Amino acid sequence: MRIVYLTGERVYLRPLVLTDKDCGSAWHPGPFLMGAARAENVLKDEAAGRERRLALVRSETEEIVGSVKLVSNDGFRRCWVTFHMAPSTNDPDALRAEALRMIVPWLRDRMEVMVVSVDVAGDEVETIAAAEELGMVLSVRFREFVARAGCRVDSLTYQALNPRWEVKDA
Amino acid sequence: MRNPVMVGERVYLRPLEVQDAEGLASIDAVETDTFMWRGPMPSSPLGHEKWIAKLYEHLPPRDIAFAVCLKEADRFIGMVGVYSVDFVNRVGETGSYLGPAEVRDKGYGTEAKHLLLEYCFDRIHLHVLQSFVLETNTRSSAALAKQGYRHAGRIKWADIKNGRYVDGNVYDVMRDEWLVARDAWLQSRSSG
Repeated sequence: MRIVYLTGERVYLRPLVLTDKDCGSAWHPGPFLMGAARAENVLKDEAAGRERRLALVRSETEEIVGSVKLVSNDGFRRCWVTFHMAPSTNDPDALRAEALRMIVPWLRDRMEVMVVSVDVAGDEVETIAAAEELGMVLSVRFREFVARAGCRVDSLTYQALNPRWEVKDA
Repeated sequence: MRNPVMVGERVYLRPLEVQDAEGLASIDAVETDTFMWRGPMPSSPLGHEKWIAKLYEHLPPRDIAFAVCLKEADRFIGMVGVYSVDFVNRVGETGSYLGPAEVRDKGYGTEAKHLLLEYCFDRIHLHVLQSFVLETNTRSSAALAKQGYRHAGRIKWADIKNGRYVDGNVYDVMRDEWLVARDAWLQSRSSG
């Protein structure tokens, strides 16, 4: 059974399942290696924890092209969204941008989250454009925070504030 | 001094040990200032012990926490650390907490923080560091500015204080900025 949460033009989101252990590099963040045995433990640990990680899947091929982690420490009043894109994906920025267009309206408008935050590297231009189209505001710029091959780029934090919440003086 | 890693004129930094758990809980128990966070919250030595033990579970570590001790009498007065260390991007988030209140405003915190920044930049070669401060915590914001940090933005609706949501100020600092700040601090100390 395929449990699909949100579907876009090219990608959809679904929960990670145990068989995803065989492609840990696609959904687990970081450049370090993730073999199947370790991935199985991570899947079980994460499923038992408070953080939620969803697989980002290319609809056409059913290939996992990344993951999105949702972190909230206050019962989803505020939520941090973190993307990891599979190292084998050749269009990560476009797919991440499409995912962001699904995730922010879902969290802000349907889940009643007060503020949705996402960190984006300064060279991820399609994701930045998507954030701005969604009405997210640039809250923070950390200088030279992300290492790229031969250079460094800033890290930007975009936040979507839920207009249905009235927050005095904030 | 026991197991010193960074040594200054009046304070030194050593690895935090599970035996420091009671000291941390004691500092929490007598805390009088409340503008740094929501309000006072008692903590358990057992909780601190568990957290301290976890610091050493990963190599390279994700979180690096130092005990801050006065050289004179070898007294434990709190901790400084760099957290969520990312050795690929070479970044981390700094934090510090000294107490009880009687040890503040004596320059120990500034000295400990400069030792921490020296460790971060010159020992483990991080490139940039960030720090988060609740907007009501003007004391820590002023301290960060003196240590070379620059304002990087505001996290909206970061926490609750005085019956309303308040923002968090975030800062970043790079090595050359810290060196300028440390030179100014050393100069002021020698002329003062």
